[in-house]
Amino acid sequence: MAMKRGDAFVGKELPEEVKKTIPRVYVDDLLISLKYYVDEEQSHLWIKEPETCNRCQYKPCLSFCPVGVYTLDNEGKIQVAYQACVECGSCRVACPYNNIGWKLPRGGFGVAYKFG
Amino acid sequence: MTEKIRFDAIVVGAGLAGSAAAMVMARAGMNVALVERGKEPGGKNYFGGAIYTHAIEEVLPDYRDRRPPLERPVTEAGFWFLGKDGLTKMTVQGGPLNREPADAYTALRAHFDPWWAKQAQDVGAFLIPKTTVVDFIRAADGQVIGVVTDRPQGEIYAPVVIISEGVNNLLTQKLGLIDHDLEPAHVALAFKQVIALPMEEINNRFGLPDDGHGLAVSVLGDLSLGLPGMGFVYTNKKSLSVGMGVMLDVLAEYRLKPYELLQRYLQHPAIAPLVKDGQLLEYGAHLIPEGGYRDMPKLYTGGAMVVGDAAAMVNALHWEGTNMAIIAGKLAAETAIEAHNVGDFSERAMARYEEKLWDTFILQDLKQYRNFSRFLEKHPQFMDVYPNFVNDALGTFFTSYGKPKKELFRELKGALTSRRPLLKAVGDMISMARAVMGW
Repeated sequence: MAMKRGDAFVGKELPEEVKKTIPRVYVDDLLISLKYYVDEEQSHLWIKEPETCNRCQYKPCLSFCPVGVYTLDNEGKIQVAYQACVECGSCRVACPYNNIGWKLPRGGFGVAYKFG
Repeated sequence: MTEKIRFDAIVVGAGLAGSAAAMVMARAGMNVALVERGKEPGGKNYFGGAIYTHAIEEVLPDYRDRRPPLERPVTEAGFWFLGKDGLTKMTVQGGPLNREPADAYTALRAHFDPWWAKQAQDVGAFLIPKTTVVDFIRAADGQVIGVVTDRPQGEIYAPVVIISEGVNNLLTQKLGLIDHDLEPAHVALAFKQVIALPMEEINNRFGLPDDGHGLAVSVLGDLSLGLPGMGFVYTNKKSLSVGMGVMLDVLAEYRLKPYELLQRYLQHPAIAPLVKDGQLLEYGAHLIPEGGYRDMPKLYTGGAMVVGDAAAMVNALHWEGTNMAIIAGKLAAETAIEAHNVGDFSERAMARYEEKLWDTFILQDLKQYRNFSRFLEKHPQFMDVYPNFVNDALGTFFTSYGKPKKELFRELKGALTSRRPLLKAVGDMISMARAVMGW
């Protein structure tokens, strides 16, 4: 079973009584535990076609990214905080429109786990 | 014109598989470049997790004299079944888990991997850190003859390249060894917290006599909200590794935030006391290729072989992967040594690598478990119905004194059949057996 892509992607809902058991967490409280060597010159993540995100009804990247790289700005545009990326690759493969450009950070840059 | 940089072999990625391969080739006298994109080995690696001594020993027989930075031996292992507010533990200790050295040790990759790479360096492998490999150099006939890195004039030449690039196997795809990218339904996103606690406190909370004892458990049930996912708890010396893995398509479709699921798990009434007052040392996440046998790329081509996560060498049910990575690295290295000795790096010469893998548990197990990841996808009741049933059933069994036993057993049966008709439950068990036994 493959995940449906593009306009065929369908968001699913948990029962309300299950959903309300999930606590709200601010990911920044977790990110302070991580060490990064941020590449100030170039991002290794990018939105290929911003227009495509407008068409994307469910915008799952806002949720599944484990470090909250993707957020919506006031105008409803997707912002990419690549500095927080842990290079897991989820967004590269799970964006329903395959609209996220992804490459490895330049050598020496990016996340540097201290424990792993 | 500057002279080309040449080695006998290039290894892409200094993880468990890559450093094993570099170590074996360097020890045989080959001139090996071990290229790592992190500032140092281990910096990009995140796992549960445990490392298996049988695999380390195969590559480095005297590893114990070299003081590997392992955490605790796994002397207790098993499953925990989380109910809504209960916990049933099914763990084993003693017996085979009591051997010295233990079969598995808990570990932290940012500590272990630099040591592992150092063992390769000590026998002559040349570590090139802070360098990302972005492409291959290929001869006119397609034979791999080197790699392109992101350094200026960053071409490195060698007649054989071992690709240990990890789960995001972009280079493997670039070589055409697999025709599709990772499928969200076949990868789990694993996320965990490393939580600091005093050693004594860990011993007390987990019933461990000292730091020469440790626990590794898979946790099923309430934490995954009825969706395909599993948790884990590993005891390190002075920290806990607590996390969970959920299939990526599920996270995307239900739009769940991994760190919120993890927080919910940590707040579970049976888990919270175990992590109470612990200090967050590190949060992180990593993909696990759970597609197994059916999602494996072709494992070799002329001048190149693929090992470890890049080749989907993971047995999801047993949390195995680190052992396969190390042994696959060794087998690829042995193939490279044979090729080096006769000067034949053709696709036919590289095919020996796959033959060697078939002689080990790696391909045998992966083939046997080929249906397992699909099995959980199709039988989510193993994540939800049964763990809850086990808690209710045992809870009932041990609290219903004073009731006629007939009534007790009726309640037990009711606790199951209200969730899953009996015939379906029997069918589930048969399907489970089929998925595990590979029938």
